[in-house]
Amino acid sequence: MSGPSFRYIRAARLDDALSQGARQGATYLAGGADLLPLWKAGLAAPTEVIDISRLPLSQVSYAGDALAVGALARLSDVSAHPVVKRHHPMIAEAILASASGQVRNLATIGGNLLQRTRCTYFRTDGLACNKRDPGSGCGARRGESRHAALFGGSVGCVATHASDLAVALAALDAEISCRGLTGERRLALQDLYPLPGATTAPDTSLADGEMITAVHIDGAARFAAQSTYLKVRDRASFEFAVVSVAAALRIERGVIAEARLAAGGVAPLPWRLGRSEAALIGRAPTGEAFALAGELAVEGATPLAGNAFKVPLLHNAVIRALQTVGEGS
Amino acid sequence: MNPQTHVRYEAALKVTGQARYEGEVMPPGMLHAALVESPVACGEVLSVDAARAETVPGFATIVTRADSESLRPSGATALIREKAIHFHGQPVALVAASTGSQAREAARAVHVATRVQPAVTHLDQAAGAAFAPAAVGRFPAASRRGDPSRALSEAELIVRNRYTTDVNNHHPMEPHAVVCWWEDHRAVVHTSTQAVFATRASIAHAFDMPAGDIRVLSRFLGGGFGCKGQLWWPWMFWAMLASRKAGRPVRLELSRAQMFTLVGRRQATTQDLSLGFVDGRLTAIEHDVVAQTSTHADFSDSTAVYTRLLYACPNVSTAHKLVRTNEPHPVPMRAPGTAPGTFALESAMDEAAGQLGIDPLELRMRNFAAHDQESGRPWSSNRLLECYRVGAERFGWARRHERAKSKVGRWTVGFGMATTLYPAIRQACKARVRLSLDGSLVVQCGTQDMGSGTYTALGQIAADALGIPMAKVTVELGDTWLPDGPFSGGSQVTASIFPAVEAATSKLRAMLANLAVGDPGAPLGGRRPQEIEFRDEMVRGRSSNVAERLVDLLARGPADGLAAEGECAATDHQALAATGMGYGAIFVEIGVDAELGEIRVRRVCGTFAAGRILNPLLARSQFIGGLIGGIGMALHEQTVTDRATGCILGKSFTDYLIPVHADMPEFDIAMIEEDDPHLPGGVKGIGMLGTAGIQAGIANALHDAIGRRVRHLPIRIEDCLASAY
Ligand SMILES: Cc1cc2nc3c(=O)[nH]c(=O)nc-3n(C[C@H](O)[C@H](O)[C@H](O)COP(=O)(O)OP(=O)(O)OC[C@H]3O[C@@H](n4cnc5c(N)ncnc54)[C@H](O)[C@@H]3O)c2cc1C
Ligand code: SF4
Repeated sequence: MSGPSFRYIRAARLDDALSQGARQGATYLAGGADLLPLWKAGLAAPTEVIDISRLPLSQVSYAGDALAVGALARLSDVSAHPVVKRHHPMIAEAILASASGQVRNLATIGGNLLQRTRCTYFRTDGLACNKRDPGSGCGARRGESRHAALFGGSVGCVATHASDLAVALAALDAEISCRGLTGERRLALQDLYPLPGATTAPDTSLADGEMITAVHIDGAARFAAQSTYLKVRDRASFEFAVVSVAAALRIERGVIAEARLAAGGVAPLPWRLGRSEAALIGRAPTGEAFALAGELAVEGATPLAGNAFKVPLLHNAVIRALQTVGEGS
Repeated sequence: MNPQTHVRYEAALKVTGQARYEGEVMPPGMLHAALVESPVACGEVLSVDAARAETVPGFATIVTRADSESLRPSGATALIREKAIHFHGQPVALVAASTGSQAREAARAVHVATRVQPAVTHLDQAAGAAFAPAAVGRFPAASRRGDPSRALSEAELIVRNRYTTDVNNHHPMEPHAVVCWWEDHRAVVHTSTQAVFATRASIAHAFDMPAGDIRVLSRFLGGGFGCKGQLWWPWMFWAMLASRKAGRPVRLELSRAQMFTLVGRRQATTQDLSLGFVDGRLTAIEHDVVAQTSTHADFSDSTAVYTRLLYACPNVSTAHKLVRTNEPHPVPMRAPGTAPGTFALESAMDEAAGQLGIDPLELRMRNFAAHDQESGRPWSSNRLLECYRVGAERFGWARRHERAKSKVGRWTVGFGMATTLYPAIRQACKARVRLSLDGSLVVQCGTQDMGSGTYTALGQIAADALGIPMAKVTVELGDTWLPDGPFSGGSQVTASIFPAVEAATSKLRAMLANLAVGDPGAPLGGRRPQEIEFRDEMVRGRSSNVAERLVDLLARGPADGLAAEGECAATDHQALAATGMGYGAIFVEIGVDAELGEIRVRRVCGTFAAGRILNPLLARSQFIGGLIGGIGMALHEQTVTDRATGCILGKSFTDYLIPVHADMPEFDIAMIEEDDPHLPGGVKGIGMLGTAGIQAGIANALHDAIGRRVRHLPIRIEDCLASAY
């Protein structure tokens, strides 16, 4: 299968890519693991494809507890990188729980964060979907809603973000660097993903042609020993998360000093569970504290018919992740 | 003959990429085709406008309903001759162009005007309009013996429940493809089909031409599971019409997404089942099935048919009904009928065992049917009881109570078991064998190998009969120029080819024996032909060491070697003196993490009694493959339809889940050999057995683990999740 034809340009230098990428109808190609299936299904029809995969943006560096991962680093390389495994095992776990070995060899960090939703209405040409065709309605909301969001959705769109990596990164307060024709900026990962409005929902806050160049995690290695990425799914491998939880604790003298919790599969962006985190601080890492965190995690959920089970599931997953992390402390 | 573990005949060809699938045939000047699909689920095509498509570079031709008018009306041409739109995605035109992407671009540029009508997109929506089909396969749609309603009213225990199964799609790895062209008035059709001869007959009928002018080839198939049959024909006809119109070969290959809509599905079922017991014995069964069919044809699986005979029970009624929806048409899918049917029956037996306080295995043994109570005939052979015993022993069923509630890590472990069965059937088949002067053997039969081992089985039967090593055997299959063979389906190919090849080789043996004894100067000269045996490429006297090399013997015969044909007839079901069924007992260990709703199969022991096993290696892989399909049906596979539009959602392997390697349990396969005097060669089918029973086994194991009874498939996270929190 293939979609409509386009012009293929292999970017030689970053600056070239930025000016090429800013042209109307142009899109970047990194690993192609998301772009090409969308193109084949007739859901992406770029007129120019700027292949950035060979730009020198794939280094992983670590200095003074500041991790920087180039946006074009392959998922497989990042999950196997000694620095990542040692200081941010949760990132490696989240990547290894993603897709398959073959896909991870292809897929890049930046592309993973920018993959489009798995909402099956979005991915089926011709069905009502505000995200694909603003104003056409939201097929999922009144139809098959198993994958729909519990939080952050709107009447216009209840899609979830599918990246596992993003959930782990969000828990670690990651930031991203972006480059556009007008210069470079750095923003919190969560600010990359705007919440949907009533009829239309742009996926990201990137400007046209703006490129992600790197992902940063600063000063979070202290969670290395007590962190986990829990992914719940119907089969043992090669499936997107039904629900996932990234959890990290820092325990000092028997009391939780810091807590990080984010959930996947439940919102249009990696969903930080701030209230649960706050409730854990100052408590002993016990079942009671974890149960409270679980309860707070699902507060405010707005389930639909098909995804109501994700409320108890998220609750239980938060507790399970905390138990895993809290074990032995 | 001892069972042989010959490795797959075509293994090296396949792993080195030399096996040429029919979609890979590349005649010069070939055009590529793409289908234009209906954007609505119900209505009528008003017009098809190709003006824009014709401007796409490489555009060659378009075929629409108007072109199909030259075809003869029949079930196979109705979808392409009539205006009606029956389901979302139904093709309304075919476009051919120089390249595949040009064809798809042109297809996208075709404008279709439709008149839309309200669609029925779910079984429940039309449940009131259910009707009884004329038949379910070769069985009557309804049955009754005794007085089940009275027996139920008198039963000590009644287990009455509704079980439902969802739509599945077959998804062989190789999508349907055709490469076809015309040579004057003759047609050459390379296509992935489970039935080259039926395909030829369909073309002969549709195009009103003699079968002799049509050659259909299907030499390698990347699986079929039931979907490479008649639903493919309309689109294949369109490719042939395009080829005739353009005067060039045309290739059409379905996309994975089209495999969800165009070539059939396992129908969804709603099954109401009541079991009545007195003293731990079944006294009544009522099994009523409602299933989905399309708006253009009737199809019903034999879902409740096996409920008529699996257990001893004097009062049994079964009924099948259909509901029409604007969804794709269903066809048989691996373990048709038995997969959904045993899910209901074997789940219900487990529920009954629980309520009766009897071990589920014991309950089944107690209710074993010593003969076929529906027809009153004896079994041709039936070693189901031994399957139960051997399987229970191998699996460790006795440890059910000590182990069942135990935990392994985060997994709560449960044990379950269920019965599987499938009828032994046979079709007409011819085979030809030819022995050349150099001692090499060619075996020919027109039937095709779905990937299930027909090449190997055919070669092996002939090689063993003549004492020739497999290395010297060439097998030719999948071509209507070869002797007529059966379609691949219903687990009956091996049972059909076996007697035909045996007949051919025994003729050849007789010729060789006569040659061996006929020349007084030869080593075996003057002996009786009956004394001759065939081993190690020699002919030998049975009671002496005297032997002659086959090649020496052949040198004395005709210059072009020796050839013979054999033939067997189809099973005449009415005339059978005994009912032939294959059976199996499936034991399953699952782990469930109820807090997270995750369920995984940890261990499966399948014990099967399916007649004579020709090649244990192939049989084992058929059983395991079957079980994996059953695990998919139980836990993963679900074709989801958007009720508002009738459009199938998630038409890819990313969304339509099938088991992956990480889901594979430990498999223990045991085969109980049967010596079946009623069936030719004693061969029963094996391909379906693994795919039934396992679903109920899993559901029963889940119940054993956490006390949760799930009566629908697939069983997913939301079904296993501990709801209270
Ligand atoms: C079968 C399958 C299963 C999968 N399972 C999972 C899973 O379990 N978990 C999970 O997290 N993911 C999963 N994925 C998604 C996969 O990880 C993503 O598709 C992949 O990471 C995308 O990265 P890429 O480099 O291939 O991006 P591409 O497909 O090349 O690009 C994706 C998008 O991002 C844009 N883009 C790429 N790089 C940049 C950049 N540096 N700056 C700006 N824009 C950019 C492109 O223009 C495009 O729009 C799965 C994918 C498949 C096909
Ligand atoms: S949830 Fe969003 S992506 Fe899905 S159909 Fe609705 S608008 Fe489209």
